[in-house]
Amino acid sequence: MNESAIRVRDLCKEFIVSHSGYASLKGALLWWRNRHRERLQALKNVSLDVRPGECVAIVGRNGAGKSTLLSILARVYKPTSGEIALSGRVAPLLELGAGFHPDLTGSENVVFNGVVLGLTRKQVAERMEEIVAFSEIGDYIDAPVRTYSSGMLLRLGFSVAVHVDASILLVDEALAVGDLEFQRKCLQRISEFKQSGGAILFVSHDMAAVREAADRAIWMHKGAIVNEGATEDVVAEYENSS
Amino acid sequence: MRGELKELWKYRELLLTFVVRELRIRYKNSALGFFWSILNPLVTVLVMTLVFKYVMGQQVPNYSAYVLAAYLPYMFFQLSLMDSSQSILQQISLLKKIYFPREILPIGSVLANFTHFILAMSVFFAYLLFVWIMNPGESPFRATVVWLPMLMLMQLALTLGLALIISALNTFYEDVKYIVSVGLYLLFFLSPIVYFVEQVYNAPGIPDEHRGTVYFIYNLNPIAMLMTAYRKVMLDPQPIVMTRDGKTHDAGVLPLDPVLMTICAVTCFGTLIFGYYLFNKKKWQFVERP
Repeated sequence: MNESAIRVRDLCKEFIVSHSGYASLKGALLWWRNRHRERLQALKNVSLDVRPGECVAIVGRNGAGKSTLLSILARVYKPTSGEIALSGRVAPLLELGAGFHPDLTGSENVVFNGVVLGLTRKQVAERMEEIVAFSEIGDYIDAPVRTYSSGMLLRLGFSVAVHVDASILLVDEALAVGDLEFQRKCLQRISEFKQSGGAILFVSHDMAAVREAADRAIWMHKGAIVNEGATEDVVAEYENSS
Repeated sequence: MRGELKELWKYRELLLTFVVRELRIRYKNSALGFFWSILNPLVTVLVMTLVFKYVMGQQVPNYSAYVLAAYLPYMFFQLSLMDSSQSILQQISLLKKIYFPREILPIGSVLANFTHFILAMSVFFAYLLFVWIMNPGESPFRATVVWLPMLMLMQLALTLGLALIISALNTFYEDVKYIVSVGLYLLFFLSPIVYFVEQVYNAPGIPDEHRGTVYFIYNLNPIAMLMTAYRKVMLDPQPIVMTRDGKTHDAGVLPLDPVLMTICAVTCFGTLIFGYYLFNKKKWQFVERP
């Protein structure tokens, strides 16, 4: 298969930065005072490909545009210019169970999250047992999630994301979930996912995790790609640069 | 806009899940649960009846029924707008993580409230039945009640349209929700909920030559028109007795004006179309507001 799972060409993203907190009606009424709003070039002509069955890591310092890139791929932001093409269903790993409602039970939240990620209610119901088993939540699945520990939230969130039959997984600094045992299970699940032709793009500051999981690495700095290639080379170069 | 609608249809399953979730959350931690949805308007209307009937001297038989017939739809309108004004901001962390048509949030809030509205209306009909059994006379159910679904549809369109506008604007300017709550408070008095539209027409303060104009302008407010329509469609025409210049006289019953009703329908569906257009224009900026 030569077709890319993720294909990005000349992607640019510009943000308007405000230093006065968030907008208010007052700000809008006094628009002539702050006409000189600052623009931030978060991504500058980024192009990359991720093939099916490949796991690509993005490394770089804070503010390099790594998370912005992931968000654009998750269709949260609209690109300023450039094109992206994604083949198949995209599942962003939601950090700390984002979108979980504290007063609802684990299983009610699984239904909602599963449907947000593109399953039907019936499909979620069919997979419920599998999802609960993988997350190791056990009987707590019927308790409100406000009673969960952060580890339990992460495990449940991860479990939903890997059970939605996505062909592209976007991971933003969330691989270190739960204890060692669960981490081992996650890595195993990820390699299964790769074998079945899934593509993974992940962002991490944990170079050990990058070395272990990534087939290829991309180093970004201030919105542009500095270098890309074999994980070991790129990571070594990045580490030496600072 | 066709593309956006198609996308929304693709995500209908999520919309349904969201509505179910809203309904579950609302009364999750309360012992009486759904009964609060009924208890709240009943107690309110009881107090209103006491005040307006016995203190202010409103002389309409079965006054509570007329208040309820307008107050239940008004509650739906009010709660929907209050809920949806916060709907985007409350879920902003989810919005920043994942894509789904953003309009699902305000539409879901409105539909959850609409579900409550339908249930409250069934309780209202049960109440009418109860009054009739206790006090048998003429049947309280009128044939014109077949128009009720049409009125509810018009109100749903209006509420959805305003919810889309308010939720989009409130995301950028949080002043909007305060404006909305003041507006809703004023609208309550500018709509025939505790009084009757006949009383507006016959108000002693209006010179006779301006009655028609004032009445027309008053009814351009779609909520005022809808509240009157709900009453006239569901309940018997109420004889209003008014006192003017020291003499009492029968104010009579005004028919539901077809021209005003058409204007109201156009306003309702026009608001929906405009609201959907505005929301779609703004929705990509929610996550990157400065």
